[in-house]
Order: sequence, then structure tokens, then C-alpha cells
Amino acid sequence: MILDLLQKENIAVDVKAADWKEVVDETGKLLLEADQIEARYIEAMKQSIIDNGPYVVIGKGIALLHARPEDGVKENCLSLITLAEPVEFGNENNDPVQIAFAFGTVDNEKHVKTISELSVVLMEESAVDRIAEMGSAEEILSYIEDILAQQ
Amino acid sequence: MRVLAVCGMGLGSSLVLKMNIEKIMEQEGIPGSVEVKDLSSIMGEQADYIFASEEIGAKIEHPAEVISVKNMTDKNEIKEKVLAAYKKL
Repeated sequence: MILDLLQKENIAVDVKAADWKEVVDETGKLLLEADQIEARYIEAMKQSIIDNGPYVVIGKGIALLHARPEDGVKENCLSLITLAEPVEFGNENNDPVQIAFAFGTVDNEKHVKTISELSVVLMEESAVDRIAEMGSAEEILSYIEDILAQQ
Repeated sequence: MRVLAVCGMGLGSSLVLKMNIEKIMEQEGIPGSVEVKDLSSIMGEQADYIFASEEIGAKIEHPAEVISVKNMTDKNEIKEKVLAAYKKL
């Protein structure tokens, strides 16, 4: 499921972002360009962090960006960026962020499957560090594929 | 053991948390269930424990004990906290 959503065009490596808002912009941009979300969804993702705090940094170095389906999602989607320089989100435990996923969901069932696979990948030893170092979308996809194949 | 996994919206970090808690419960043979909730829908929900990130946990008002998780992708942290919670029941 995750490999259906995470196509090469939804991945950008070594992205420059000056602060957490730019991280959201850059990750959201990939979904917008693929016409999978409306522009307001990117603002909603930022607002969520402003409202709830940087809880989106769910583990060391990894941010899981999202808002609600009604905030402007056109179809289930997932994007990933790796950062050229780590960025602080203000999360005491898990900053700085090295990689960020953004997702949108309209179909709950498929979404649960996608998050389930994502959890498996992220629980893999050193997954975040390794993905952060990779130089291409192909490498990352291959790595994710390998982890899922082992399950 | 009935657990609620809570986040701001009920479809992001709470889902990751639910998946990981469920896996541990399965591995350790702990019976029970994990449900995902967002902050606005926990009132009136029965649970033994509520698992959430620290930021979200701080906002929760509920009779059940709130257990905050620092790193949702850390198997060891989650296992430790789930086992400790189960022992106290």
C-alpha cells in the first residue's frame, strides 16, 4: 500500500528548509503538484502544529505531517522529503527533524494499512538515519521495499 | 487491558502508536484492545490507560491514567510502558 502511494515524484531528497514551516511547505508541495491535495491543506498542516505543538515529531528525527480529510484532501496520498540540514520543530525529545512524511487521507481503511506499513518501516533499527543519508528516491523506495518484504 | 491512543486528530501519530502498542500486546500475550481517539472525543470513553505524546498528554483530562510516549518509533520504550501498565492492573 505504501509503495502504491509513495511514487518517485512524491519523494525529494536533500531539501533545503530554513524552519519547520518550510519543511511543511516542501513536503506539502509534492502532494499539491501531484494534484492530491488543495493548497489549503498545507496551511492546515501548519495550523495543526501551531495549535497542538510539535507532536508530529513522533520519533527521533522524523515528522509525520498531516491534517484532517476535510481540510482539502483529494485522494489518499503520501510524500517524503529528506532534509539537507536538520530542522528544529521545538520537540524536546525528538528534534531535530531529518526526514518528513506528509499524508492525506480520504479512505480510512486504506489509510490504516498505509500507516501500519509506515510504522513497520520506522520501527526498523536506524531507519530514519539511513533514509536521511540516501541520495535518491529509488534508493529509499528500494530500502522500504526490502523492509516490508521481510515482514 | 483497554487502551486509548490519542493525538490531535486521530489519524496520524495516534495510529502509529496504536499499531505499535497492538504489536507489543500481541507479542507479550496481553489481552485487550487499542482504540484511536482525537482530543475532542475521549470524554466518556472507558479505558484503563491513555497513551499519547507528551504534548498531547499534557492536555488530556480523563479519569484513566495518561502514559506519555517520547518516541513512538522506539520499540523498547513502548514495550516497557505497556508491560508496566499491564502489571499495575
